[in-house]
Amino acid sequence: MITAPARAAAVIEHARVSVGRSMVRRRLRAVADGRATAIEIDLHRGPVDVVGELAHLTARLADGSPPLARLQAAFDQTGASDAAIDGLASRLAAHRIRSARSVGALKAERAVAWVAPLLSADQAEVREAAARALGRIRGVRSADALVRAIERRGATRTLIVELARAAPDLYLEAALFGRRRAGVIPAVAAAAGLRRRQTAVGPLLALLASGSRKERVVACRALGWIGARRAVPVLIRAIADREWKVRLSAAKSLAALHAPARGAALEALLADRNPRVQKAGRQALRRLAME
Amino acid sequence: MFFALAEGTLRALARRLRRVTVAAGELILYQGEPGDSIFFIEQGRCRVVIEKPPSVVTVAVLTGGDFFGDTACLLSRPHQASVYAQSDCTLLALDRQSLVSVLGRDRGLLDELRKVAEQRFSSYADTTVQATWGMLLQEATVIGVYSPKGGTGGTSIALNLVGSLARRYPGQVLLLDLDFPYAHAALLAGLVPTSCLARLGGVPAEAFEEVLLSAILLHSSGPMILAGALRPEEADDVTPELLTRAIGVLRKTFRYIVVDLGVTINDPALALLDLTQHMVLVTSPELSAVKGAADAVDILLRLGTPHDRLSVILNNRTLRPAVHRTAVERMLKRPVDIEVGFDGPRADQAALKAEILSISNPHSEITRAAEALAELIERYHGKLAATGANGGPAIGHEPR
Repeated sequence: MITAPARAAAVIEHARVSVGRSMVRRRLRAVADGRATAIEIDLHRGPVDVVGELAHLTARLADGSPPLARLQAAFDQTGASDAAIDGLASRLAAHRIRSARSVGALKAERAVAWVAPLLSADQAEVREAAARALGRIRGVRSADALVRAIERRGATRTLIVELARAAPDLYLEAALFGRRRAGVIPAVAAAAGLRRRQTAVGPLLALLASGSRKERVVACRALGWIGARRAVPVLIRAIADREWKVRLSAAKSLAALHAPARGAALEALLADRNPRVQKAGRQALRRLAME
Repeated sequence: MFFALAEGTLRALARRLRRVTVAAGELILYQGEPGDSIFFIEQGRCRVVIEKPPSVVTVAVLTGGDFFGDTACLLSRPHQASVYAQSDCTLLALDRQSLVSVLGRDRGLLDELRKVAEQRFSSYADTTVQATWGMLLQEATVIGVYSPKGGTGGTSIALNLVGSLARRYPGQVLLLDLDFPYAHAALLAGLVPTSCLARLGGVPAEAFEEVLLSAILLHSSGPMILAGALRPEEADDVTPELLTRAIGVLRKTFRYIVVDLGVTINDPALALLDLTQHMVLVTSPELSAVKGAADAVDILLRLGTPHDRLSVILNNRTLRPAVHRTAVERMLKRPVDIEVGFDGPRADQAALKAEILSISNPHSEITRAAEALAELIERYHGKLAATGANGGPAIGHEPR
């Protein structure tokens, strides 16, 4: 049973944290806007999640923009950036996770070389934090590290999502044509789909035409995510593919595309020999009727 | 853009470059999407196009040493235009993180680069507006007809193309005759010009349009002709500035302007190349003519004429050609788009009667070729292209 004094203490504590969070936000914004140059905030001490607040603020700032540069310079001055990079080599998993979050929030490109080894850490949480940090830092070095991690340990949802975030222009498109270990190309294709750039449509269509079964399945889905209208005829042809997973994937993608000619093609799926493909066809037609 | 950087900084940037190969026809950047990399062309040609459905206008062709993507990368603005690989390309990509990482310590350098990018953005915006306004306002398409060797029938093809287009759009098609020094398109059409473009250089700006339009001759069957010069010595008076000024006026008045460029590539011809939306190269199946045509194709492509905007016409002037079509195509390293069958003395007879074959004789080989060429041009630049109704490629898109 919670007593009245305890409840009052909890309310006061909550208010204290809120006030503290508000103060941190104001200080960070002041530095970003150039109204202050120094920042006296410890990234990891106190009741407020400073790294979270910093990450929230920097997520909206373009790389290399003056506000981000001011924040980075301010944290460099306090030594917080160096401490975060040092922390990446800590023996304590919790410390490494915190440090990875910090360098990610600060978008510290120079930390990529130290974050990348964490993608091979034993603890899943450390690997996840490292992948997220690289996704926030972005750039070709981060993308290279993520692709290498996929090659070594296989693709995970986090690695694919962060690769989509980190990859610079034409990186994934070029990687789709490169020599990679089995399993990497589908992950890259999925990342290209998540990135939703029209430049990936050509390489994905080529993959759909000549890739392995898994690659074709992912290419179909990726084309749907991108909303590539010029892929509609190819996806309609994929509905007749001998692999049911490709047919299923094509049906889902066609449902996502607003193409007038796809209704008749999808109706053919209602008589498909695979019940999952039939279901996908039904769902796609329902979606079409609702538009 | 990077000339002000110290050598050490340039080396650091060079180490961060990523080499990307792109196949011909592939999309490199898409208009309106965000971007984070600057691309330097190491090898190949890229085409910059503005897409304003249903129109797509080519605004620049970039070659080795040129770069693009700087405004999106440095200013965080969406791409102003799409970029397609016109040939197989090797690009060097520099992403924003690498750029900031190398230059980030020196804010002044980054700001300087941003300023340059801003200037390029503004000047590019002006260029693209200029390039698209004609299309958006449905102004004339300019078609250049060039034959690298005299006597291959370039003027005849130009005149009959005008005839075919004029049958579709009476009073809206003009032939500008720049086949110097002896421009005789008007003569072949049975017209006698009394004024010409060369004599308009000194006309004041306020009277220029009126005087220019009054120099145009109307053929009774629909086409219109403007002579470039009446005497050989007047050819030098047609300057690039005068030509650009005249085309600017004529584009507002006509639907198609066909320019007979003759055999020489001089300054006015080069100025006109910048203003043309389509080039027609006429050759005959003779060794010297085909050799000249092969050189011309090379020059035109290097000057930035897109592959699909260059049409090659093989005009058979004799019954038994010395060089076969396959040999011509091998020498040109590209297919012949239209072959004109031997037409006997019909062309000469039509000139004597002041007729344009493509209007007066539907059975003539020249008429068939002119019709096919008009069809091809309509597919790329006419109403059909705008609606995509004929199933042909949309304007400006690389064939895939």
